Amino acid sequence: MLTGGGETQHHQPRLSEPTHLEPSTTPRVLTILSYVLEKLVSRNDQLSLGGGAGKSLSAFHGVRPPAISLDKYVERIYKYTSCSPSCFVVGFVYIDRVVHKYPDSLVVSLNVHRLLVTSVMLASKILDDVHYNNAFYARVGGVSNAELNKLELELLFLLDFRVSVSSRVFESYCQHLEKEMLCNGAIEKPLTITNTIDDVTEISVEDTQTSSPPQLVDS
Amino acid sequence: MNCNYRHYSEACFLFHDLTGQVYMAKEIETGEIVALKKIRMDNEREGFPITAIREIKILKKLHHENVIKLKEIVTSTGPEKGEQAAPDGNKYKGGIYMVFEYMDHDLTGLADRPGMRFSVPQIKCYMRQLLTGLHYCHVNQVLHRDIKGSNLLIDNEGNLKLADFGLARSFSSDHNANLTNRVITLWYRPPELLLGTTKYGPAVDMWSVGCIFAELLNGKPIFPGKDEPEQLNKIFDICGTPSEEIWPGVSKIPWYNNFKPSRLVKRRLREQFRHFDRHALDLLDRMLTLDPSQRISAKDALDAEYFWTDPLPCDPKSLPTYESSHEFQTKKKRQQQRQHDENAKRQKLQHQQQHSRLPPIQQSGHGHAQMRPGPNPPLHGSQPQAAGVPSHHYSKPRGPSAGPGRYPPSGNPSGGYNHPNRGGGSGGGGYGSGPYPPQGRAPPYSSSGAMPGGGPRGGGGSGYGSAGPNYPHGGPYGASGAGRGSNMGNRNQQYNWQQ
Repeated sequence: MLTGGGETQHHQPRLSEPTHLEPSTTPRVLTILSYVLEKLVSRNDQLSLGGGAGKSLSAFHGVRPPAISLDKYVERIYKYTSCSPSCFVVGFVYIDRVVHKYPDSLVVSLNVHRLLVTSVMLASKILDDVHYNNAFYARVGGVSNAELNKLELELLFLLDFRVSVSSRVFESYCQHLEKEMLCNGAIEKPLTITNTIDDVTEISVEDTQTSSPPQLVDS
Repeated sequence: MNCNYRHYSEACFLFHDLTGQVYMAKEIETGEIVALKKIRMDNEREGFPITAIREIKILKKLHHENVIKLKEIVTSTGPEKGEQAAPDGNKYKGGIYMVFEYMDHDLTGLADRPGMRFSVPQIKCYMRQLLTGLHYCHVNQVLHRDIKGSNLLIDNEGNLKLADFGLARSFSSDHNANLTNRVITLWYRPPELLLGTTKYGPAVDMWSVGCIFAELLNGKPIFPGKDEPEQLNKIFDICGTPSEEIWPGVSKIPWYNNFKPSRLVKRRLREQFRHFDRHALDLLDRMLTLDPSQRISAKDALDAEYFWTDPLPCDPKSLPTYESSHEFQTKKKRQQQRQHDENAKRQKLQHQQQHSRLPPIQQSGHGHAQMRPGPNPPLHGSQPQAAGVPSHHYSKPRGPSAGPGRYPPSGNPSGGYNHPNRGGGSGGGGYGSGPYPPQGRAPPYSSSGAMPGGGPRGGGGSGYGSAGPNYPHGGPYGASGAGRGSNMGNRNQQYNWQQ
């Protein structure tokens, strides 16, 4: 769900920098990460056809998959929040910790967006000296401020507040991501998505209501 | 483990600090008494406070008998009793609490009790525990950054634990990161922070330890400054003015020129505290060394002669227990009395064993556990509980600004220390007219915008910038949440594309 229009001018200052970026400057790890997550999701979507994806992640579930594809979503978060690329790796570690702790939980197309924006936001809070607040991440991620706060808390409790990631663990995840990419013979697809994203100022992963204007939680 | 708040009975409101409330409660299943600290969640835009995440992260990493134990984090479901925390936001609307082991006292509160006078073995015992806990933190690359008496909790078994890690952070050993210099309660803040350095390490905590050590021996705080310039004045008056000779590099510290002393003062720490015993003075001298790189480390302090000469530090369990007056404890008094008598007998035996050998330095948790009556003793079940004044400092909030109340300028109505030197030494008067710019004129302190980096901690107006020179950090269980620096950095204001 896109709402462009009158909002366009407001994001102009912060768009100026990213538009200068060549597609190739998007860190490779982001491409790999969206690829790995997409693969996981498509597999899990098959698995969960009969049953649902477990109760543990129910807070992250939407009614139907958001319109924005995962790689565009990753790109969008990276572009607007300017968080360090390592936040995506650490966010991935968080998601992985949760699914290992709750084996009944599955990352599926209904929850992957919310999981991603919440975990990257949390990682950025922990890692980055300067980071945006929840309200901003909510706007970038297409969820309400209140919902993102709730999801953040949900994730913290699912993680049992284990938010530390040692450099050893971090490296092993990087290697894992790298390997995934190689094993599956995936080619480094050129990022053609950058341009399309520039047009999108507002998105929503909230499909539960078809209410016309997106609510701005924070006036 | 992720149990619900309902499992605790909210028994007693303990105290209220600037950023949250701390409650005393009893875990229903085990009967164990705990302290619940509510995490303030009132800034919706920020979400879960980063300070609380940081504190939890650090506390989860630290496991030591001289560091407060964070048992778990729980949620309350709000007013509707018995309702499950539904995933629809109830969890958020209720409270989030950090659950700590309950401690009966804090060092400041204990020292302030009428008629209280610590013995030398007792001071050595507390100091050794403080240094042991701090050494553990530093080895684990954690700076506490708010060491002061009210953050040192003491239970009725004489154990001392570091608490309130709300300002703590991890550090890398190369000291190259830029850290905020707006930490540590003023009276315990080291000269390098007052001079504005942003590259510092464990030595900042050791200065605070030195201040506490001197306070224990002296009977009152030694540097009770009203604001930063006066604080530096008081320090220089006793420790001497800094120079490149005694502190190489001092002139390069950001605000050195703002505070550069116009007249040189010789270090007269040894004269000022000549009534202390020799080993105590030697140790204090090395703790209150101006140059942080020459200041003694926690590890070396533990090896100091002071702790290895007679009278030796006593065993924590041999210390007298002090009364606590929380209501539900007195209710239990009678039934606990019997149990206590039994435990006391056993403890007596063990004390004899303990005293018969040299106390091991940095004793491990295992050694300690063996001394306890049983494998899982009731935490507070074995102390005599009589009505009295709780010695928690937080029943009467005190930052540096509360100083005058605690230490009346004349006389000593509360008993306290009967020290020959009391009342002498560093009085408050006279310093304000020194060569330093008055409070407010010194640019580095006057606005948060001048903070190096201008990072998340700087903005928002609710951070240190607006807190004035003193930062009464409240209760010993720490105060996470709003007010410890907002995360609304400059970027947000610049790029707030929705307004």
